[in-house]
Amino acid sequence: MNPRTLLFLLPVLAASQGLDPKALRLFQPPADSWPTYNGDYSGRRYSTLAQINAANISSLTPVWTYRIAGIGPQRGVGNPVIKSTPLLVNGVLYFTIPDHVFAVDARQGRLLWQYDWEDHGGHLVGQRGVGMYGNWLYFLGPDGWFISLDAHTGKERWRKKVADEKLQYFTTMSTMVVKNHVLVGVGGDAMDVRGYLEARDPETGELQWRWWSEPEKPGDPGSDTWPNKAAMDHGGGMTWMPGTYDPDLNLLYWGTGNANPVYAGQSRKGANLWTASIVALNADTGKLAWWFQASPHDTHDWDNVETPVLFDASVDGRPRKLLAQAARCGYFFVLDRTNGKNLVSKGFAGVNWSKGVDAKGQPIPDPAKEPQVDGSLINIPAGGGTNWPPPSYSPDTGLFYVNAARGYSIAYLTDTDEQPEGYGGRGGGLITEAVLEALEVKTGNIAWSHTYPSGTFGTSFSGILTTAGKLLFTGDPSQNLIAFDPASGKILWHYRLAQNVSNGPSTWLLDGRQYLIVGAGDTLYAFAPRGAN
Amino acid sequence: MRMLCAISALALAALLPAQEPPAGGRGGRGGPALREFLGLGPPPDAKAAERGAKLYSPNCGFCHGENANGASGPDLVRSPVVLHDEKGELIVPVLRDGRPDKGMPAFAAMTSAQLSDIAQFLHLRVELTANRGTYKTLNVVTGDPKRGEQYFNGAGGCAACHSPTGDLAKIAARYPPDQLQNRFLWPGGGRGAPRKVTVELPSGEKVSGTLARIDDFSVDLTDGSGARRSFNRDDGVKVDVEDRLTAHRTLLDKYSDADIHDLTAYLVTLK
Repeated sequence: MNPRTLLFLLPVLAASQGLDPKALRLFQPPADSWPTYNGDYSGRRYSTLAQINAANISSLTPVWTYRIAGIGPQRGVGNPVIKSTPLLVNGVLYFTIPDHVFAVDARQGRLLWQYDWEDHGGHLVGQRGVGMYGNWLYFLGPDGWFISLDAHTGKERWRKKVADEKLQYFTTMSTMVVKNHVLVGVGGDAMDVRGYLEARDPETGELQWRWWSEPEKPGDPGSDTWPNKAAMDHGGGMTWMPGTYDPDLNLLYWGTGNANPVYAGQSRKGANLWTASIVALNADTGKLAWWFQASPHDTHDWDNVETPVLFDASVDGRPRKLLAQAARCGYFFVLDRTNGKNLVSKGFAGVNWSKGVDAKGQPIPDPAKEPQVDGSLINIPAGGGTNWPPPSYSPDTGLFYVNAARGYSIAYLTDTDEQPEGYGGRGGGLITEAVLEALEVKTGNIAWSHTYPSGTFGTSFSGILTTAGKLLFTGDPSQNLIAFDPASGKILWHYRLAQNVSNGPSTWLLDGRQYLIVGAGDTLYAFAPRGAN
Repeated sequence: MRMLCAISALALAALLPAQEPPAGGRGGRGGPALREFLGLGPPPDAKAAERGAKLYSPNCGFCHGENANGASGPDLVRSPVVLHDEKGELIVPVLRDGRPDKGMPAFAAMTSAQLSDIAQFLHLRVELTANRGTYKTLNVVTGDPKRGEQYFNGAGGCAACHSPTGDLAKIAARYPPDQLQNRFLWPGGGRGAPRKVTVELPSGEKVSGTLARIDDFSVDLTDGSGARRSFNRDDGVKVDVEDRLTAHRTLLDKYSDADIHDLTAYLVTLK
């Protein structure tokens, strides 16, 4: 096909077949789509749709369910769990579990096609979904394979190797499309490898740029936070969750994972940049614009990959472009997203691991609270103050919502070698309670919170969606899908599912009817108001 | 049974992958299950690895470190050759031929079986590093038992409910020190021990039993006859869940790490 023909065809593709690039926006996708993991680039997971609202919530009812069949227990993790947020493009839902992609008709929940990948390693801990560019989908197999599919048929176009699973890298991210870049991150902290984020060409899959989570060599910026090159080469900082993007600033915002070795920090003295950080990268070059480190010299497995949520708000009478993150280390951060300058650093969970914050607003780790051979008591559960499931920000209330974990753990050092490797320790769980918290973005104060009576979230933490219908949707640890009043925390509605909500709820309009979509274990549920249309 | 639950919950919290919060009470998984999850390939042959260790130490340890994590020579645990190898097919040729350009001698005099044993030793080292299900807690008995006893009878307030000659007699014979420490910090594991619940209905009727399940909308209990009963938490229904662990919970905000280690040192004397 010559370029001229391609140009002629492009608008047709965009309108009738593929994803219109204009649907990918900073705030608020078109009402009839959910074109990327977080719906829009901001990560707010706030929808302006209000057909389902606080006044008619009692009419919300399941209209179809799609249960994954014929796959059975997956290696090392058990029955399939939907952690992906389905894309909705042109009436078709695209969602994933490890090794599998599904295209389902959004009106009826009917399977259109299924793509099955046979992995040869990697961790099947989760799969967060696909990215889309025109008519092409981008999926990651757990064993470091970056795979492009035809969205119409599910047929594979090509595959590229992006990570070595034998070194204990794995790939679970929902790929993210920004302009003509497909962003691909990696996971894996069992064997002390070096984190990176890649941009790849949507047509060919070839590498465009790679950003490493550590400086390359002594003398490079950031290398003064490491003792030597070997420590940097094995320093961790995985990029396993999709980030966010501001098209006006052309900056990607990405969270990086914990440093390696995970619990044993004795061979990597220093702050260990840019692990456990939020980094702002130029989307076209991968060049670092600014950074903010949430857990300097992390020794508690506090991956900082929780969504860096973008929102605009007025502070002291001045409009500001802001970024907020409820971090796994227990702190809530608000930054100026143009330059990384800190406005708020406040614990939303226990933060006894830190001695306060420095001039930049970054926590100062307390060496006495690093993992010890005989145990060090931490007032956050072993998994941290929250985890990957998506939070939400509502511009209606000005509140940031997060499903948090409160409790205690005891951190043990099990590898006392001068050159420890792997985890080198562990966080032993004590009490864990699951709490939905609403945080004021200008102060970090808790406006309201709801402690779920049933205790811990276990392995399926639920994400959050807020809407202009004055509703907040999330799941509790007892298989309930719940609608809260986002202003007060009052429960307005609930529906008992067969399993816990295991992804972030999403919503869109189809044929004039608003749908709510949630994944719970192996089943996708579609809700809509009874009687609408 | 309670002990088993507590141990499995603690073990699980330690073993879960970094992407997940700890789970309560879903049953633990040991090293082999975690190995499968990690996709580490065929497990090392323990006997071959033991034979290999005896060969590794005098022949390789000087350059690569006794634990194979590197010295003047490279770290072999993180070595891509070792991590890509399954049963010696990549490691054995390197051992046999050496890497003369990098100063590594050839071990051509060793038999294939011996070289294969060394490969298995390296796989065991990878297993003990990458598979956190194999990690062992080291010595937690570092405190002062006398100060621990004082804390037990004084500031900790433990003696109000527990006695070293009563419920805690010979406690140290029942649990190894690290489990003992975790158990006094939080006896129930994740959600806590079985709890008593009383449901008061709008009529004034009260029903008590062992809490089976609770959320914001309903509560289930097992009553004295062993029957399971379920109540909706409608307006006017009061639910009171007894928390026998209040004292343990309160202490978690008060302990210094030294208090904890002193208490452990005292409790391990109760044999």
